[in-house]
Amino acid sequence: MKNILIIGSGIAGLTAAIKVCEGGGNVVLASPAHSERSQSVMAMGGINASLNTKGENDSTHDHFKDTINGGKGINNEKAVKKLTSNALNVVKWLGDIGVSFTRDENGNIDLRNFGGQKHKRTAYASARTGKQIVSSLTALCRKKEAEDSLKYIKPWRFLSLIITNDECIGAILFNENTNEIKAFEADSVIVATGGMNKLFGKTSGSTHNDGYVTAKLLEQGVELANLEMIQYHPTTIETPIKRLLITEAARGEGGRLYVIKDGKPWYFMEEWYPEFGALMPRDVVSQSIYKVCNDLDLGIDGKNQVYLDISHLPDEFIMSKLDEVYKTCIRYLNLNPCNEPIPVYPGVHYFMGGIKTDENHKTNIKGLFAAGECSCQYHGANRLGGNSLLGAVNGGWIAAEYALNHESNNQFEDNLINNVLNEEKEKFDIWSKKDISSNSVPLFKIEENLASIMNNSLSIYRNEKDLNNSYDELCNMEKIAIKADSRNDYYSYIRLPSLILLAKAMVLAALNRKESRGSHQRVEYPDLDDENFKKTTSLIFKDDNIEVSFK
Amino acid sequence: MVESVTVIIKRQKNKDEMSYLEKFEYDGDLNIPIITLLEKINNQDEIKNIEGNIVEPIKFSCSCLQGLCGDCGILINGLPKLACTTFLIDEIGESGNEILLEPFPKFTVIADLVVDKEEMYESLKLLNQWIESDAKVNLDNIQTEYEMSLCLMCGCCLVACPNYSSGDLFKGVPVAINSLKFISQEKDKKHSKELKNNYNHHFYSGCTKSLLCEDVCPMEIPIQRSISKMNRLSVWKLWQLISKI
Ligand SMILES: Cc1cc2nc3c(=O)[nH]c(=O)nc-3n(C[C@H](O)[C@H](O)[C@H](O)COP(=O)(O)OP(=O)(O)OC[C@H]3O[C@@H](n4cnc5c(N)ncnc54)[C@H](O)[C@@H]3O)c2cc1C
Ligand code: FES
Repeated sequence: MKNILIIGSGIAGLTAAIKVCEGGGNVVLASPAHSERSQSVMAMGGINASLNTKGENDSTHDHFKDTINGGKGINNEKAVKKLTSNALNVVKWLGDIGVSFTRDENGNIDLRNFGGQKHKRTAYASARTGKQIVSSLTALCRKKEAEDSLKYIKPWRFLSLIITNDECIGAILFNENTNEIKAFEADSVIVATGGMNKLFGKTSGSTHNDGYVTAKLLEQGVELANLEMIQYHPTTIETPIKRLLITEAARGEGGRLYVIKDGKPWYFMEEWYPEFGALMPRDVVSQSIYKVCNDLDLGIDGKNQVYLDISHLPDEFIMSKLDEVYKTCIRYLNLNPCNEPIPVYPGVHYFMGGIKTDENHKTNIKGLFAAGECSCQYHGANRLGGNSLLGAVNGGWIAAEYALNHESNNQFEDNLINNVLNEEKEKFDIWSKKDISSNSVPLFKIEENLASIMNNSLSIYRNEKDLNNSYDELCNMEKIAIKADSRNDYYSYIRLPSLILLAKAMVLAALNRKESRGSHQRVEYPDLDDENFKKTTSLIFKDDNIEVSFK
Repeated sequence: MVESVTVIIKRQKNKDEMSYLEKFEYDGDLNIPIITLLEKINNQDEIKNIEGNIVEPIKFSCSCLQGLCGDCGILINGLPKLACTTFLIDEIGESGNEILLEPFPKFTVIADLVVDKEEMYESLKLLNQWIESDAKVNLDNIQTEYEMSLCLMCGCCLVACPNYSSGDLFKGVPVAINSLKFISQEKDKKHSKELKNNYNHHFYSGCTKSLLCEDVCPMEIPIQRSISKMNRLSVWKLWQLISKI
């Protein structure tokens, strides 16, 4: 029987775990916290599938086309084909396992509009689609645990892969509560660890998703892709805790964007893009908001903000279908969106780039698979809303199938795993005996600095000078990082150098893509350059050097 | 509004060491969530307590920072709340510019404000909280099923409950609301019966209906309504059957 190690227990990891068990394998599912704490529970708006129950002639082909158009042609087409044709099955399966989707008058799963798609294609569960999906997946996992085919271990953080002869045979994990370091051998490993949020300090997502796994994988020779493709969600609000998301459903259900021009509301999206209006793909909406505030100087109260207005929608409608928007505004802004417009501005939300996989979720290392937001194949230069929950379920599902099918003929020495484990333990010992010199910088300060560099140079519009400066600053930061005072926190200590490496790779990706495509806008190269760049940005760490190429 | 607040935190290095109260002085914006307050205390060059001694960062949990994940539940002035949705300004009123933050009681402390909630999950596993069949879809039940799945597993209800304590037969509200959802979706009669029996033994027989759980539930899950429904389904039906014999 195959033993599969799955790292990360959001929607992608949970789905993979269930599908491995259903396929007859054994699973160890490891994550720093229970699935209830994963970013997946935060997804509100919905999940895409061309169920075509609204008489709009929707089809998997249209879903495919919209996804590729949204991604500006650099999505992996084979993967998107599978994604969009499996979507119907995915949503049906979710319904079967008990996800309480909102239903229409005919008892069908209801569908709503989402950006970049003309058809109603986004299935949802009131205002909490992600939470409802996680809830049903965890119940199934519980059953698999009770049947002993699944072992769900917490709080374990990933430290490193065990790789021999270009094949992954397990991973070393770290228990954050006890400081225990342990080796987990496996026939294959599925990584499902979410986005690279920490590089930007705080994003609209979870603080648990630090990007360390992606960073360490880069360091260990795993190919990454499209790191420069970072989605700024058009509508986030400024609050003392962080920039919080106002779901795209607010616009999908009729919310409008405006600023005041000549004393009157100016619905700029509707004027600039009459066909889709505020429901253009996210990259376009975010860039438009940027222009309105920065180039036209029309930001509300002279600040970087525009209004998102849902006050014309009936109160009961807001309370049922957009209740999270209502709650968030009341709680954090003391503003009632039933009566007043919401001041919004784009914020970092999603990473289209990450661990490169093929359409079967295989990475360049045998026995290593990746699924969900940490992986890169479906979304190209810009993700459509509702496609990432779909990508997470579909990816977990496919990764499970191929992980189960993976046959190894790797002969490795018995003591190999022990040697790798001992190396990690030694690193810990060295750290724990380390004298913190009085002039070492507190680690949180370096992390803050890292986030500020990334937010500045990888903002909605990028320029060569800032990117070059950032790269130099990151190189300097590497030297300070090894002497940082992590205040007795080993995990954040070993994480920092890897995160800086990942940040460098991201900056290099943005520097080398000398064109503007989707979420990557270069001031010096404002146009698409299909000839040179209708390709995937590939990043490999070799001989202490990050190699960037376009494939 | 900016004022000086004394933040009292119940600290504990690890599960084996004794806990103690430590005071911190905070000068700054009061209109911030408690999580932000903790971050502000930690993210200083030197973290000093009120006596001026340099101390270790305060350990606490959080993930979503917007009341969706249940990771950040702690006692705030004695009441179980989410630290990311509770604002400082609302908590310092009567206590004279003081706020007391403690880890949840009834759970093992891992460090400072972080506790181990594994037992909650174990209970759900032990009591077979899942469905065996494909889910039944009944349009009239979807709203209830949706509400039951809003549970964050934050533990606030168990902390408030006068009947729950760790290791008891009585497992508290998470079992009740999960049971209601799964019974509503389950087609497999045998498993439905199992769920009802488990409910009777591990919830019904121990609940004294104080309903403090409903008062503290951050998701405002209609707990009273769901318990009544579960009682109707699993206790009274059985009782009616028996009394007919
Ligand atoms: C506010 C918000 C709203 C959204 N709304 C929608 C929507 O409506 N529709 C849609 O399609 N998408 C939406 N998204 C995006 C979507 O939620 C995510 O992309 C998706 O849930 C990712 O799932 P995942 O399983 O890949 O990762 P996650 O759910 O992020 O899970 C990652 C897992 O990896 C673990 N992990 C992280 N770091 C480590 C580490 N170092 N070691 C070990 N484990 C680790 C985490 O603990 C977690 O268990 C939204 C996102 C946000 C933030
Ligand atoms: S951090 Fe998620 S509920 Fe508070």
